[in-house]
Amino acid sequence: MKILYSWLSDFIENPPAPEDLSAKLCRIGLKVEELHKTGVSFTGVCVGRIEKIDKHPNADKLALVDVNDGRGVMRVVCGAKNIAVGQHIPFAKVGAMLAEGELKKAKIRGVESEGMICSAGELGLEGYDNSGILVLDPGTQLGSDAAALFPKADYVMEVEMLPNQGYCLSHYALARELSVFYGLKLKDASVFQGEARGETVPVEVKAPDLCTRYTALVLKGVKNARTPEWMGARLRAMGSNPKGNILIDGSNYVMYELGQPTHCFDISQLSGPKIIVRRALAGEMMKTLDGQALKLDPGMLVIADSSKPVALAGVMGGAYSAVSDATEAILIESARFNPPTVRQASKTTGIKSESSYRFERGTDPELTLKAARRLAGLILEAASGAKVEQISDVCPVKYQPPVVEVAPAKVNAILGTGIADGEIYACLKAFQPDLRDSKPWKFSVPSYRQDIESVWDVAEEVARYIGYDVIPSVSHMPMLPSTVTPHWTAVSELKTALASLGFSEAYNYDFVSAKELKLCGLAPEAALEVKNPLSLDFQYLRPTLLPGLLKTLRYNLNRGRETVLIFESGTVYSRKEAGKAEDVHCSGLLYGDFPEGGSWKGGAGKADFYALKGVMGRLFSGKGGFRYEKAKKAPSYFQAGMCLEMRLGASSAGYIGKLSREAAAAADLKDDNVFLFEIPLACVAQAGKTEFWQKIVKIKPVSAFPQNWRDLSVVLEEKHEWGELERAFSGVQDLASVRLVDVYKGKNIPAGFRSLSIRFTFSSAEKTLNDAEVGARMTSILDKLSKNFGAKLRA
Amino acid sequence: MNAGEWKEKLSAIRDSFSVSIAKKPADNPEALELRFLGRKGELALLLRDLKDIPLEERKPLGALGNTAKQEMEAKLAELKGAAPAAGPAAAPGLDLTLPGTPFPKGSLHPLTHVMNRLAEAFLKLGFTMSDGPLVEDDYHNFEALNFPPFHPARDMQDTFYVDAKDAAGKFMLLRTHTSPVQIRSMEKTEPPIRVFHTGRVFRSEAVDASHSFAFHQIEGLYVDKGVSMADLKWTADAFMKDLFGSGVKTRFNPSYFPFVEPGAEVDMSCVFCKTGAGRCPVCKGTGWLELMGAGMVHPNVLKGCKYDPEKWSGFAFGGGIERFAMLLYGISDMRMLYENDLRVLKQVQ
Repeated sequence: MKILYSWLSDFIENPPAPEDLSAKLCRIGLKVEELHKTGVSFTGVCVGRIEKIDKHPNADKLALVDVNDGRGVMRVVCGAKNIAVGQHIPFAKVGAMLAEGELKKAKIRGVESEGMICSAGELGLEGYDNSGILVLDPGTQLGSDAAALFPKADYVMEVEMLPNQGYCLSHYALARELSVFYGLKLKDASVFQGEARGETVPVEVKAPDLCTRYTALVLKGVKNARTPEWMGARLRAMGSNPKGNILIDGSNYVMYELGQPTHCFDISQLSGPKIIVRRALAGEMMKTLDGQALKLDPGMLVIADSSKPVALAGVMGGAYSAVSDATEAILIESARFNPPTVRQASKTTGIKSESSYRFERGTDPELTLKAARRLAGLILEAASGAKVEQISDVCPVKYQPPVVEVAPAKVNAILGTGIADGEIYACLKAFQPDLRDSKPWKFSVPSYRQDIESVWDVAEEVARYIGYDVIPSVSHMPMLPSTVTPHWTAVSELKTALASLGFSEAYNYDFVSAKELKLCGLAPEAALEVKNPLSLDFQYLRPTLLPGLLKTLRYNLNRGRETVLIFESGTVYSRKEAGKAEDVHCSGLLYGDFPEGGSWKGGAGKADFYALKGVMGRLFSGKGGFRYEKAKKAPSYFQAGMCLEMRLGASSAGYIGKLSREAAAAADLKDDNVFLFEIPLACVAQAGKTEFWQKIVKIKPVSAFPQNWRDLSVVLEEKHEWGELERAFSGVQDLASVRLVDVYKGKNIPAGFRSLSIRFTFSSAEKTLNDAEVGARMTSILDKLSKNFGAKLRA
Repeated sequence: MNAGEWKEKLSAIRDSFSVSIAKKPADNPEALELRFLGRKGELALLLRDLKDIPLEERKPLGALGNTAKQEMEAKLAELKGAAPAAGPAAAPGLDLTLPGTPFPKGSLHPLTHVMNRLAEAFLKLGFTMSDGPLVEDDYHNFEALNFPPFHPARDMQDTFYVDAKDAAGKFMLLRTHTSPVQIRSMEKTEPPIRVFHTGRVFRSEAVDASHSFAFHQIEGLYVDKGVSMADLKWTADAFMKDLFGSGVKTRFNPSYFPFVEPGAEVDMSCVFCKTGAGRCPVCKGTGWLELMGAGMVHPNVLKGCKYDPEKWSGFAFGGGIERFAMLLYGISDMRMLYENDLRVLKQVQ
């Protein structure tokens, strides 16, 4: 909210300087985000006219200018390029106070100058062209004070308002804060003091739960009353656009001044005339001041005349009863509306106003009459013939200040302080001067501070009063053991392993478009939809991390990268029952060379399925029960026949495979060699629940005897998969390891067959195996291979 | 020893140095240095003998000795420069300066690094890690945290709703802060409780250099008997010192969050000020960085979780992780963290 220093100063005796004031506000939690000077403070500058321009005898870039200030002609030296005869200009005489200080008599290159033609900068004006002298309107009066042409010097503070600071939303309110917390003397606003007994417009409050007080003042003879210039200037400085009509501008002025929104109705447009404060009827319609037709509902509070709603309470007035320059008689409304009701109406209708903003945050119930009187006073000043005819103050629910019992020990217990009772008492007393000193203190909450409900709230005020630095930094906290979640352990292990294998971690947004889902072969209907997305690009919550990974892949390829190894760990969503809609995945992809960059020695391969399988081997090494199975139901974004499911014990550990052609095409790739993995973290986290000491694999003793190895090359039909062969080797005595050395197809191998070269390593714990023993084991292996798979020794 | 003898000895040392250094191939320069100029070298010992010579004679002798020393040093430096590379010559045809076999490394995201580090700081202070869902219900995200329906505090957090309803028939939402984890933790744990949580949150805001509709927060909660704001201050201070060094100071300012009372904003003294007071672009010359929100758990929040506020009290504090990451990595645009440019990511060590 904008606060004008001059306006704030209206309510404080001997106000501190702007910078000091702003520091004081910050210290009590009212953050001044910006403090800037506006207007002008120069003196001794009048409007002059350029009569004649001559060359300076000693300088090419200077001119001698005759300036007429209405009383006489003076000669000055001027260096600006934009001077021309006949211009009206700000003319500073010797002794003038300018932005940079006092103007002194000067001789410039040998010629005496009797004054200065000023630029905007020299006058301290901001937002004007400062490249030459400031040219004034030709209609300005010669010799008149140039300062009168510009707003007076002031400071504008931009104060950040938190939602609980409804009690700070005006100049008076901030002055009051400063007076409570710093003991500055508060001055009151001058208001209309008269009385009036008439009752032209009866007021009836039918919903006292939603409107606890309704003050109405009737004024007559207000026709065509204009807004005074000083008020217009302040409103402009507030960023508001004054209309020139005091009924409208005055109402805004009072709101910025006191924090109480008011509204003026044109009585001639009120049927009855009568004011009824009631709930709207179902289906009732109202046209607002700005021309919108609103459909009302019984949750809303309206101000009605005897036949129809004329305002949506606290939000906006109706077009029907709006005041205009022709308005003769008005009713000033100044009321206290229920904050949630105003907020709900504002949300439902989508209308936010300065008024609803203040009512939502809770206005002071004891302020309505004062605000109405203040507005009446301002109108009376502007309209000489106006008269107050009626003052009604309907108060169906009288304000009862809540009383908070304050025990100083409790305040100190909350803050962890040892503040003396007297200091706490002084703070409470600043709020409530008539507080009696008998403990526990009975603190009755001021009407403007309805946010204070308990001793916790009071403790905060005490801390604000003394300063938060009063709270010491001391711990009485006992030791407590701390643990991490199994999920976090599992994620961290995976992430660290992937990063060490050359993958970089990406963070993508959770939102995806229908198009992105379709490209992955997913139906948008199955995804969880955002009801109020920022745009259609962010309409759904991702059911898989793939769209983000593809975006990352494309982004990096477009920037000249040829190899992309990325992964992401994040939440994926599905349309399921409440509370079970999310899972965490760790997914990644591999494209280009593997390992990245290769070496001058050669050896960099293209990324392929086996590279990815090798990565998974590392991720899951040491995890008991890890194995691959053929995917029975692979996700739609894997290529058919190019996907394996990973298993960890009884549960699925996700999928690896090649990206589907459709999804690859969407990523604008040169080829479709994108290899993808997707690991649901639930399975890994389950494993993470095992205590660390139970996860540790016991170390087996190694044999003291040398090991032996033999190579075997066999030819067999291609339909027999390596995985089947591998299983056949189990149970061979002393077989320590099996390694596939080569797979060969082509010359000398019949079509439909392939040759496998396998290295078998034997080791016994008891002895050194001799040739015969190793030979016997190899024979049994070959027997198995030929019996089960029809394998023959390669010639 | 008299002056004459001393001079003779000096010239003998100089001669033998000249012979040694002129030898082809020359002696090892390090060995020569040790023999003549070392702490127990011939020249050093001779210079030490000066003490036995009367003072008036000593001065010119010392100058002679020093000149000799300088000459020797210069000659030795020459010899060292001319010496061939140590060790046997490289095998012919082998270029040892060729690059080594690469083992390309990947990287963890800067936010992961920061979150891990923040988690570590919490764990050291005895906070246990806790968890909660991202798709939340209104109760846990707002109501239980003392944001009543139609309260303006809800404006602080523009909310995304999803097309699924909770048990009360209200639309589920994407959590707007990590604070619902406070409620979920208290619901399933009897006090005392000391937990923390890091994770993603969502706000319906346009993306710019300092805003994002998805970002991350960290949150800590401690409820026990007799917990006060002094404990909070100590904890926040210890936390900041762990992250930014023991030299930093923390400061509390009044602030407002519906779920705490009293509420505070935690500022840390700027560790990035290098250019002197008033000129630092990071703290804008204020000397302080606003890093976290904090306060005493609001009695309404405790009551809602069936903790008796007369018996138990607690504090909570938290902040945005992107803010930490941007400060630590010197990033000025938050969007950089979500672009996933490998040229950026790979810089993270």
